[in-house]
Amino acid sequence: MFLYIFCNRLKCIVRDKPLIFWTLIFPLILATFFYMAFSNLTESENFNVVNIAVVDNEQYQKSKEFRDFIEQHSEGLAGDNSSEQLFIAKVVSQEEAEKMLANNEIVGYVTYGNPISLSVKESGFDQTILKEIFDQYSQTESTVYNILDQNPTALQNGLTDDLQRNTEFTREVQIGTKDKPDITVNYFYTLIAMTCFYFGCFGQKEITNTQANLSKRAARLNVAPVHKLKVLTAGVLASLLISLIEVAFLMCYIIFVLKIDFGNQTALVLLTCIVGCACGISFGAFISVVNKKSEGVKTAILIVSTMTACFLSGMMFDKMKYIIQKNIPILAYINPVSLITDAFYALYYYDTYTRFLINIGMLSGFTVLFCLVTYFVMRRQRYDYI
Amino acid sequence: MIVSVKNLVKRYGDLVALDHLSFDVREGEIFGLLGPNGSGKTTAINCILSLLTFDKGEIRLFGKPMAPDAYDIKRDIGIIMQDVAVFEELTVYENISYFCSLYVNDKVKRKKLVEEAIEFVGLNDFRNFYPKKLSGGLLRRLNIACGVAHKPKLVILDEPTVAVDPQSRNNILDGIKKLNEGGATIIYTSHYMEEVEQLCSRIMIMDKGKVIAMGSKEELKAMIKLGETISVEIFGLDDNKLDEIKQLPNNISVDYNNRYLTIKYNKGKHNLTNLLDYFKDNNMSFGRVYSEMPTLNDVFLEITGKELRD
Repeated sequence: MFLYIFCNRLKCIVRDKPLIFWTLIFPLILATFFYMAFSNLTESENFNVVNIAVVDNEQYQKSKEFRDFIEQHSEGLAGDNSSEQLFIAKVVSQEEAEKMLANNEIVGYVTYGNPISLSVKESGFDQTILKEIFDQYSQTESTVYNILDQNPTALQNGLTDDLQRNTEFTREVQIGTKDKPDITVNYFYTLIAMTCFYFGCFGQKEITNTQANLSKRAARLNVAPVHKLKVLTAGVLASLLISLIEVAFLMCYIIFVLKIDFGNQTALVLLTCIVGCACGISFGAFISVVNKKSEGVKTAILIVSTMTACFLSGMMFDKMKYIIQKNIPILAYINPVSLITDAFYALYYYDTYTRFLINIGMLSGFTVLFCLVTYFVMRRQRYDYI
Repeated sequence: MIVSVKNLVKRYGDLVALDHLSFDVREGEIFGLLGPNGSGKTTAINCILSLLTFDKGEIRLFGKPMAPDAYDIKRDIGIIMQDVAVFEELTVYENISYFCSLYVNDKVKRKKLVEEAIEFVGLNDFRNFYPKKLSGGLLRRLNIACGVAHKPKLVILDEPTVAVDPQSRNNILDGIKKLNEGGATIIYTSHYMEEVEQLCSRIMIMDKGKVIAMGSKEELKAMIKLGETISVEIFGLDDNKLDEIKQLPNNISVDYNNRYLTIKYNKGKHNLTNLLDYFKDNNMSFGRVYSEMPTLNDVFLEITGKELRD
C-alpha cells in the first residue's frame, strides 16, 4: 500500500504543471538571467589587449628606453608568448595616428615628449588603464633621471634591477581551493537555496491532502482504514525524490551549461542539496499546519518568507550576506536559506569543513524541528471544525 | 444495528449544532437524513465518521464503538462527500484505484474492484480522462465510484446530488438503489424531500440539530393532521362563495390565489366529492382539478411551522 501511495503521489506532483513551473522552470530561467547579467559584469572587469598608435617623431626615435618599453609591452613587437603584453602598438605618423583614432582603429595614440601625451577619443576602462601605464612610465623615467642627476654611480650599483623589482607590502593568502574567487557564484547559491525552499509548496500540498479540515480529499483519507501519517510519509518521500531530481537538474544546468563553479566536493554539494530539500519541504509542511488560514494565504506566507530569506542571503544584493553577518550574525544562523547558501560558499572557498558542518548541522536541526511540530499537530485524530 | 447514535451533542461555541441526537440505522435499509441547510446533517455524519470531536454522546458502528483508529470498522465504510473529493492530477481510473488502495491491498483484487466500480457508475468511456475534463454529473459519478469501489457494507452519502443535472441525478439515485440491493446499508442526507421520499425506507427529519420526526414516509405522514390538498382551477370566485367553501366539512385551510383554489383537508373520506357536489349545486364551472397526498414538506411545515426549503 505504501509503495502504491508513494507512486500516486509522484504522479500527482509531476503532473501539477504550475508546481513544476515554479520549482523547476522558474529557477532555470532565473539562473539563465543571472548568467546573462553577471557574465557581462565580469567581462567588464577584464583588461583586453588594445590597439594603440605611437607617433613616430624625433623624440621617439631618440629615446631607446621608450622604444624598448613599447616593444616590451606590445603584442606584435614583443612576441605572442609574452605575459607583459598590454597593447598592440603601431608606430605611425601624427596624421596617420589621428586618422586611425578618428576611424576607431585604435583606443588612443601616444606622443613621446616631455611630458608624454596620450590622445583618446572618449573615456573608458581601456583608456584609463592606458593612461595609468604611461603615467607610471613617466614617473619611473623622471625618478631615474633625478637619481642619476644626483648620483651617477647608481646605475652601476643596481638601479636597473631595483626598478624592475616590485615590492608588495601586502601578501595574498589562499583561503580555499580557488586561486581567483568568483563573487557572482553566491547569486547562484542563493538561487539553489531559493529553489529548495520553493519545495515548501510540496510540503504544503501534502499537508492539505492529509488534514481532514483542509480538504475533502483528506477527509476521505481520514475515513479510510490507514494511518494518515503513513500516507503523509509516502507523500513527503515522493516530494523529496522529485525535489532532488529537480535540484539535480538545476545544478547540472548551472554547472555544465552555465559553467558556474561549485568546487570539487561533489558528495558534500549533494549532501547540501538533500538537506536543503528536506528543510524546504518540512518548512512548507510546518507553515501549513501551524496556521489555520486558507491555502492561498499559506502559499503567500511561504513565498514571502522564502523571498525575504533569499534577500537576506544576498540574492538581490550580494553585499547583504556580509552586512547581515557583520551586524546581525544571529540572523544568518536562523535563516535556513542563508545556511544553504553559506554551505555551498564554504565548500567553494574553504579547505576546512567547520563552517560547512555548522551550516549543515543547523539546517538538519531546523528540519527536525519543523518535522516534530508538524507531527505533533498532525497526530490529532479528530477536528473541532471541518 | 449498523449505526447507533445516542445523545450526541456537538457545540460550536454557543451554538448547539447537535442537540442530544439519537437514532439507529438498521442493516439493509436506506436511511434518509432530511433537513434544511444548517440543520446538522453533515455535522452528524462527520461525528459518526470520527472526523469531528463531540461534547457528549455515544456512537457505535457495526456494534462497536467508533474511534479514529477503529480501522476494522472503517474498512466497511464508504463515504461520498457533498463536494467532489478527487485528485485533479489523476485520471478517472487512477483516482478510483488510489482510493480503493487505501482499503484493498491485494493488487489483483483491487483491479477487479476498480473495473466493477467504473462499470457501476458508467464511466468506462472516460476512464483515462482527467477530472477537469468531466462534466459536473460525471464528476459526481467519479466521486461515488471512489467512495464505493471497495464494496463497503455501510455507504454514507452526504448530499450527493447538489448542483447535478436531472439525468445524472436519476443515474445517481439508481446507483444508490443498486448498492442497497447489493446488500449495502445506506445513509443518505439531503434537503431534497422528493429524493428522500423516493429512495429511503426510513427517514429522520432534523432541524436545529434535533430530531423532529422519524419513521417510514407513511408513518411520518400519519403523524400529521393533513390528509390531502385539493387544487381547483376556477375563475371569478367571489368572497361570498369563498366563505361558503370555507364552511364545507373537514377542511383546514382555504386559499384562492391566481385563479387556483387550494384547500387543505384533514384525513377523511369524500373530501373531493363534497367539493365537486358544491360546484355542481351552485352551477360553478371549473377547470383542472388536482388532489395531492401530504409530502414530507407538509410534515416539516406542520411540525416546525416553516417550509423545509426555508
